Amino acid sequence: MTDHSGLSRFTGASRYVLDNELAKIVNISMALEMPLLLKGEPGTGKTMLAHGIAESLGMPLIVLNVKSSMKLVEALYQYDTLTRLNDSRFGDSGRDVSNIENYIRMGKIGRAFTSDTKTVLLIDEIDKADTDFQDDMLDVLDQMEFDIIEIDKTVRAKNRPVIIITSNAKKDLSDPFLGRCNFHHIAFPDDRMMRDIIHVHFPDLDNNLAQNAIMAFFKLREMSSIEKRPATRELINWIRAMSADPDFNPKNLDKGDIPFLGVLFKKSQDFARAATTLARTRLF
Amino acid sequence: MFIDFFYKLKNLGIPVSPTSFLTLHKALETGLVMSLDDFYTASRSILIKSERYFDLFDQIFAHHFKGADLPDPSEKELSETIRFLLEYWLRDPKILADAMGIDENKLAKLTPDQLVEYFKERLKDQDGRHDGGNRWIGTGGTSPVGHSGYHPGGMRVGGISRNKSAVKVALERRYKDYSKRGPLSQAMMGEALKRLRNLVPEGPKDKVNVDASIYQTMKNAGEIEIVFDRSLRDRLKVILAIDNGGWSMEPYVKTVQTLFDYAGAQFKELKIFYFHNTIYDNLWQDPGRHRDHVKVEEFVRFDPQTRFILVGDASMAPYELLARDGTIYVHDRSTMASIERLKFLSDTFVHSAWLNPVSAKMWHYTPTIDMIAKIFPMFELTLDGLEEAVKHLAAGHN
Repeated sequence: MTDHSGLSRFTGASRYVLDNELAKIVNISMALEMPLLLKGEPGTGKTMLAHGIAESLGMPLIVLNVKSSMKLVEALYQYDTLTRLNDSRFGDSGRDVSNIENYIRMGKIGRAFTSDTKTVLLIDEIDKADTDFQDDMLDVLDQMEFDIIEIDKTVRAKNRPVIIITSNAKKDLSDPFLGRCNFHHIAFPDDRMMRDIIHVHFPDLDNNLAQNAIMAFFKLREMSSIEKRPATRELINWIRAMSADPDFNPKNLDKGDIPFLGVLFKKSQDFARAATTLARTRLF
Repeated sequence: MFIDFFYKLKNLGIPVSPTSFLTLHKALETGLVMSLDDFYTASRSILIKSERYFDLFDQIFAHHFKGADLPDPSEKELSETIRFLLEYWLRDPKILADAMGIDENKLAKLTPDQLVEYFKERLKDQDGRHDGGNRWIGTGGTSPVGHSGYHPGGMRVGGISRNKSAVKVALERRYKDYSKRGPLSQAMMGEALKRLRNLVPEGPKDKVNVDASIYQTMKNAGEIEIVFDRSLRDRLKVILAIDNGGWSMEPYVKTVQTLFDYAGAQFKELKIFYFHNTIYDNLWQDPGRHRDHVKVEEFVRFDPQTRFILVGDASMAPYELLARDGTIYVHDRSTMASIERLKFLSDTFVHSAWLNPVSAKMWHYTPTIDMIAKIFPMFELTLDGLEEAVKHLAAGHN
């Protein structure tokens, strides 16, 4: 088998439970050198995947957290005029004030490009930004270069980074953007998978507790008319809360006695609805 | 290679681009795609760009590589009808036999399989010859049969698919719940809510955005350019009228109500009324429809800018809509044909919409749906339909 990218294969990481399908998609995207766009409910491990890849391939991870007001240039580089002004006034930094290049700071994408080793670049929650940002960014990632206007210099990527882009699907992404990415939607883990995930996070958790907690968790998720259903993150925190409570007895979960409901349901309407539903009906 | 497959995807409505098809071939060259499983994963991640199409992709993949049935709504509708017939048959063979005009004893001799085949033939027959003759068969598409069991219990999404063949995985249709087709269900609440949250008024662009103005002015080299933003508007008032009578609406009433309850905070005012089938002299404020009524005439007192949203299947016998005393309740005498009432309401409220859980494809089979759709802009009660309706309701301020 030829491996065009010359990379080692991604097979999983110590804190991330990987399903086979996703591993294949990651490997194909790396071989094609295309960005991988991940969508899915919050808490399905989109961000964790990038951490997992970086860990398993031994590459540094660079995270770009997209904000709604962000301009593309911020992600590429910053011209630090303030420091330059300060230096020109006091002149005690040893930097050459007449050389603007000294005051160019690389942004996250810029750093991924200039890094001497191959990196994993995670662009988190791309959907928050506007469409222009998304399209312009894809241009940069396609060309693997950008210009620094202030010093009239082109930055070319030394190594093409492995690019993972996540989206919470609040907005639909534009067609040209989608056209340049590979796409995967991470479904919510089923209970077998969830047991593995819990095991990775709590290796010495009491089997009984884990079993009951996961069962109760899925029952609670199935509850109708919930706006924000609890996700993996909530389950992990919930289990942490229960194992920290000395008075807690896993047998009570069986009886439909759910402690720390607030850890699972974070919207007040959802919390109220869950509480009344639990009071009225028994889960099991 | 796989050109057939590509066009099959395209023809069945998945937006696939030639570029991505070429990328797929590049992927095949890398040597990473060694089996049908790999091909399934690779082609899906490269060709399909939205989870909404995963379900359709699964079906087409299964069809192309294994010859499974292609999605065909009429076929589905039919099999649901047959299931309904079978259940009915088990309960009371005589009525069914009479309704279909066949000999009960003759049917009794058939095996279950033959029975199903027989029903199928009969139904196809019936479709071709006349619609609406035997009412409950004719309206089969819009009645309980069309919708029961469309969303079998809960989400079934698999994490590990190691031991299954791609075709089996595809056949499982794990992404069914993400598909945009099919009526609204409780499981789609979150998604539907996002659509509804777009229902905000649009003010004129008359507020100066100082920051953007300065930026644009600098960009223009000092030539002043003023940037305007939309000013904030008062929130919308919404009246929701729900058809909560009869089993055909049963599954949707709760969903719709919860949906608007949740969204309630974003509206200035949300009033919910109830009716059965169509509106006569009164609308009811209690779900039981007997305590608090409001005369339709009184609706003129509401702000005409109120968004008036009706939810109902709009399916009934034509006389219920057209006759002067069409109501099916004896105590509920009416002085005006219901269709006049509806026209009155649609004249009163400039912005109105009718959400119909019946699939738009079936609308033409029920005359009353057509009639009502001429009065109120009608939308499917699906995620897509909701999006359209919200767009329609939010547009046109003052």
